[in-house]
Amino acid sequence: MPSANAILFGVLSAALGGGAIVLNADVRMLGSNRGYAPRQPVAFSHRIHAGDLRMDCQYCHSGARRSRLAGVPSASVCMNCHARVTARLDSVLEERERAAAEGREERTPVAPELAKLYAATGFDPESGAYAHEPAGPIEWVRVHNLADFVWFDHRPHVARGLACEACHGPVQSMDRMRQEAPLTMGWCLDCHRTQAADSRAPTSAAGLRAAHHVTTDCVNCHL
Amino acid sequence: MEHLRGAPDTVDDGLLLPGEELSASRRSFLRLAGFGVASGVLAGCSRGPERSVVPLLHASDALVPGRGYAIATTCAGCSAGCGVLARCRDGRPIGLAGNPEHALSRGGLCAVGQADILGLYDSRRAGVPRMRGADSGWEAALAELRGALEAARREGKAVRVLTGTLTSPSTRRALEELLAGFPDARHVEQDALSSAAWLDACEATHGVRALPGLRLERARRIVAVEADFLGTWISPVEHAAAYAAGRDPATGPMSRHVHCEARVSLTGLAADARHVVAPWQARELLRLLCAALEAESGTEPRAGRLEGAVELVKLARALAAELREAGRGALVLYGGEDEPAARLCNYANALLGAWGETLSLARPSRQRRGDDRAVERLWSELDAGRVGVLLCAGANPAYAWPREARALLERADVLAVHSAGLDETWALADVALPAAHALESWDDAEPQPGRYSLTQPTVPPLRDARTLRWVARALAGATAPDAHLLREHWRDELHATLAPDEPFEAFWRRSLHDGWVEASGEAAPEPAFDPASIAALEPARAPSGLGLVLYPKVGLRDGAHAHNPWLQELPDPVTKVVWDNYACLAPGLARELGVETGDRVRVTAEGGGTLELPALVQRGQHEQVVAIALGYGRAGTERFADVGPQWWEARETVDVHGRVGVNAAELLAFGEGRRRGEVLGVRVERGAGRRDLAQTQEHHSLVVPEHLAPPRGEVRDVARSVTLAGLGHAGGHAAGGHGARTELWADDHAPVGHHWGLAIDLSRCTGCSACVIGCQSENNVPVVGRDEALRHREMHWLRIDRYYDEGEHGLSAAHQPMMCQQCDHAPCESVCPVLATVHSSEGLNQQVYNRCVGTRYCANTCPYKVRRFNWFDYPREDRLQNQALNPDVTVRSRGVMEKCSFCAQRIVEAKARARSEGRTLADGDVVPACQQSCPTQAIVFGDMNDPHSRLRGRMQDPRAYAALEELNVQPSVRYLMRVLNRTEGEASHG
Repeated sequence: MPSANAILFGVLSAALGGGAIVLNADVRMLGSNRGYAPRQPVAFSHRIHAGDLRMDCQYCHSGARRSRLAGVPSASVCMNCHARVTARLDSVLEERERAAAEGREERTPVAPELAKLYAATGFDPESGAYAHEPAGPIEWVRVHNLADFVWFDHRPHVARGLACEACHGPVQSMDRMRQEAPLTMGWCLDCHRTQAADSRAPTSAAGLRAAHHVTTDCVNCHL
Repeated sequence: MEHLRGAPDTVDDGLLLPGEELSASRRSFLRLAGFGVASGVLAGCSRGPERSVVPLLHASDALVPGRGYAIATTCAGCSAGCGVLARCRDGRPIGLAGNPEHALSRGGLCAVGQADILGLYDSRRAGVPRMRGADSGWEAALAELRGALEAARREGKAVRVLTGTLTSPSTRRALEELLAGFPDARHVEQDALSSAAWLDACEATHGVRALPGLRLERARRIVAVEADFLGTWISPVEHAAAYAAGRDPATGPMSRHVHCEARVSLTGLAADARHVVAPWQARELLRLLCAALEAESGTEPRAGRLEGAVELVKLARALAAELREAGRGALVLYGGEDEPAARLCNYANALLGAWGETLSLARPSRQRRGDDRAVERLWSELDAGRVGVLLCAGANPAYAWPREARALLERADVLAVHSAGLDETWALADVALPAAHALESWDDAEPQPGRYSLTQPTVPPLRDARTLRWVARALAGATAPDAHLLREHWRDELHATLAPDEPFEAFWRRSLHDGWVEASGEAAPEPAFDPASIAALEPARAPSGLGLVLYPKVGLRDGAHAHNPWLQELPDPVTKVVWDNYACLAPGLARELGVETGDRVRVTAEGGGTLELPALVQRGQHEQVVAIALGYGRAGTERFADVGPQWWEARETVDVHGRVGVNAAELLAFGEGRRRGEVLGVRVERGAGRRDLAQTQEHHSLVVPEHLAPPRGEVRDVARSVTLAGLGHAGGHAAGGHGARTELWADDHAPVGHHWGLAIDLSRCTGCSACVIGCQSENNVPVVGRDEALRHREMHWLRIDRYYDEGEHGLSAAHQPMMCQQCDHAPCESVCPVLATVHSSEGLNQQVYNRCVGTRYCANTCPYKVRRFNWFDYPREDRLQNQALNPDVTVRSRGVMEKCSFCAQRIVEAKARARSEGRTLADGDVVPACQQSCPTQAIVFGDMNDPHSRLRGRMQDPRAYAALEELNVQPSVRYLMRVLNRTEGEASHG
C-alpha cells in the first residue's frame, strides 16, 4: 500500500501538471523539441558574442559553408580571442584597483567559465602560454537534434543566403542556446514548398538543371 | 571530460529547463510542479537521449567535421599495387575507391580491394606482440628475435625470411640490409597463387626472371590458356581495363579472344570462343600451336611435329591461323603451373612477333615474384634442421603449404611471424609481431619497374602494429619512426632518379598527393628470345583418374581475406555460390557418380590427402577434372558461426567442422616425387549427407516459371548480345523494341530538370563484382549469412545476373548488373499503400524508410526483383566494424524495404558542393559507387536530359536497350548489348 503522503503527492503533481498543460500557451507538437535548451558544460552566452559583440555566426560555425554540419567551434577558435580576454572588463578593472590599493603586482583575473576553456587547452593565463597538459576538448550538449533518418545540409541554405535566424531564431538574444524552430518535416516543407514553387517558374531545362533548384523530393533529406 | 559537466564550479544560469536533473529540494519541487512536469511529460514523448558534440581541440582547415575528403594511397589487397582513393570522413576512412589518375589501375579497384576496409576495422586484428603464446611488448619481442638471430649466427644456422611477393622497394632494401649482416640469410618469396612457372620460363627463354608486362589494349587476337586474367591472375584490374579498351567496337577494331581451360572461369566466359582443354593437355596444345606457327612461317622446327591427338591438332591449327591474321597484334597467354608450357607460350609469342608489342619484358611486371624452387629448398633446409630463424611475413605457410611441409615449420629453431594475427602461422609462432594494416601505415610499392606507388595512413594506428620495414630496421638497430624510414628511402634512393630537378620536399608532397609517380625515360631494349630454350619436350603426364584443379575465387583468392564477411558473401561470378567452397564436377561426371549439387563427395588425392565437401555440377567443365576453390577453411572463420540473424530456425553459416569451407591444400602432397606443374590425380566418391549451397542466381530470376509461361515458353530477351558482323549492318536488334511507348500520364514527367539515368555496357562487363562490393560499402548493405541467402534473402542492392549461352563456340556468359531501374512508370509506386516509395522530380524512385510499413507489395510487383526487405535487424554489434559504415546513408531497421537509390546521397552531396561553389552541376559530378571503381568503365551515370552528357551518348548507341521494355515501365537504366567477335551464326542469350 502506498502511503497517504505518496498518494497526495501524486494527486497534487497531476493536478498542477495538468493545469500547467492547459495554461502553457506553448504546447509543443509531438516530435518537436522546440524550446529545448540543455545546460552546457560551459555557460557560453550567444547574447554576448553574437548580440553585444556582433560576431559573425560563421566565424565560429565555419562548417556551415564548408560542410553539411555547421559544427561547434574548436577550443582553439575560442582561444583566438580568449588568449587575451580572460575575464569581463569589470573584473579586470576591479583587480587593477585592488592591486593598486594593496600595492602588489596585478594578477590576471580569470572568469570561472573561461577557466574551463583554459583547462581544456592547457593554457596558463598568468604566463600567456600553453603550459599545461590539455584536458581535452569540451563536450558540448547538442541542441538541434534531428532523427537518424534525416540529413540536413547547411551548405545549400547558406549558399542561398538564408539567414541563420530563419531556423535558429534570435540567437543574439539567447544566453543559453535553445531550439527555437520545431524542426519538424512539416516546418521544413513550409519553406521548401514556397521556394519550390518560385524556382519552378522559369521552365527552361537549363534553368531547372541549375543547382539552385529547390525541390520537395524525399531524397533531399531521407537517404 | 565528465568532470566538467555538473562540476561544482559550474555557474547556474538561473534557468531550469525541461529534461534537467533536479535536486529534491522543496523549492525545486514547486518549480517542477509549476511547469516542469507539463513540459517534461511532453518532452518525454519526443526527446531522444541527450547527445553530445565534441569538437576538435585544435581547428584544422584540412579537417572540417562532416566534410568528406580523399587520401591517395595504394591497395594492399594483393600484390598488384592498384591506386586507391580512401574516402575519409572525420579522420577515418569510410570507403575505398580506385584512383582515376593512377597509372596502373586507372580508376578501377576490384572487389577485394574495396572490401579491405573491413580488414582495417577488424576487431580481432592483433595489436600486441606475443612470445610463445603470451603477450609481450615490442621491446621484449624484438630483443627475443635479435637474440635468436645472434644464436643462428653463432651456430652457423640459416636465417630465412618468407614473404609473399614484396613490391615495396624500401622494405626490400631494409630486408636486404638486415640479411646482409648474416652469413647464411635469404629472403624467400612465395605466392599462394603462384606464377613461378612463367617466371622460370622467362628466365629460360629471355634470361630475365620477371613477368612480361601485358598490353592487352593492343592485342587483336588473344589466345589464353588457363590464364584467368580478368578475374584473379596477376593484375586483374589493370588487365580488365586494357582488355575492355581493346574490345570497344566504337573506338577501333575489336579484339578476338579465344580461351582454353578446364574449369569455368570468369575470363573463359567472357571469351568469344571457349575450348575445354585439360590442364595436362596445355603443354601439348601449346607445342602443337608452336609447331603450326613454325610450319606456316617456315622457321626451323623446334617444337616437334604437328602430330598428336586429333582434336588438339585441329584446335592448334585453327588458333595458329587466327593468330597469324593479327600479325604482331597477337598474344598467347598461359596461366598454369607447367613451366615447359609457359616456355612454349613465350616461344609462340616470339614466332608471332608479339614481344615488344602486346607483351614485353623491357617493361616487365614485378607483381608476382614468388619462387617455388626456393620454397622447396627451404623445405629441405627445414627438414635438415638447418634453419635457425624463420620469419614469415605476409605468408601463411601453416595454411597454404602441403600437409607434410606444414609439419616442417616446427623444425625451425625459432619461428617468427609478422602478420595481422588472424592466420594459422601466428598461432604456431615463437615470436609473433602484429603487422599494421595498409590503411594505417606508411609504405610504397613498385609493381612495375619505374612505376612507384605510395601508401600513407588514412587514420591514426588502430593497433600497436608495425610494418615489415620498421621491423627489419628495428632488428638492425634503427629506432626512427616508420614515416621517417620511408621518407629517407625516397630521399636517398628515388628522388635523384625520379625528379632530379625538383626540390625533395616538393617532390615528396606531390607524390603523396597523387599517390604515385612514374619514372620517365626510354624503356630498355626488349631482351632477345633464346631459341635454344625450346628443346624437345616430352608431353605432360595425364593423372591417373581425375585431375585436380585448384583455383582462386574472385572474392577470396588465396584466402588472405577470408575473415572479410563481404567477400564471403560475394556471389561467385560463375557459380553464384556464397559462403562455401565445393567440388565442381562436369554434368557427365556428376551423373556417373550419382551426385547432384549439394551432395557431399569425398575427394582423395594420390598422395593420400582427403577432403569432404559438397559437389556442384558445373556445365562447361572438363569431364575428367575436379575443381576446388582455394582460400577456404581458414582458421578464425569460426567467427562466422553467428553471422546474420540468430533465430530458432537459422542454420549455421559455417560447416560441421566449424569453418567456412575446407582447405584444399589438404590434398597437396609433399615428398611424393611430384614434379611441379604436374596435375595431381584424385579419386571422387559419394560422401554422406548433403550441404545445401546458397546459390543466388536462381533467386531473383527474370525467367518466367514453366507452369506460368505461355505454351511455347516465354523468351525474355533480358541480356542481349550481337555479333560484330551483326552489329555492323543491322545496328543490332535493340532498335526494334517491343511495341510502342504508351503514355497514360503524358505530362507527369516533363523532360525538364535532371533526369538521372544509368547505362551499362554488357560488352565491357566482365562480372568481376567490384560494383557489388562498392555498393555494399557505400550503402551500408548488411551481411545476412548462409541461411538467409538460402532463403533468397540476400540484401545486395546490386546483383550480377549471369546468362549462359552454349553453342558451337563453347560456353559463354553475359553478366548483367541488375539494380533498381528507377522506372518512370514504376509498378512499385502505385501499389504502396503508404506512399513510402514515390517518384522524385528528378526521375528517382525514392524509398522512404521512415514511411515504410513493410507490406512488401512493391517487391512483389517489381519486374526486376531488385527490392530487398529487412527481415531482421541485422547484427551491427561490432563497434569497430561499424566505423566502416557510410555516415551519409541510413542503417535500415527491421521491417522496411530497401533498394538501389542511384546513390542519392552522392547526388545530394554533388549538388551541395556545386551550390556552395556557385556553379551548376556538370556531367561527371555525380559518380555512383558502382561506376566509381568499375575497372572497365562499363557503367556510366548521368543526366538523361543533358544532351551533352556521356550517358546520353551511350543511350543513343544502337546497342542500347531497356531490360523487359515490353512491360513499358520505362526504366532509367539502359543496357548496351554484348558484342561478340564471332564470325558465323548469331549469338543469343535468353
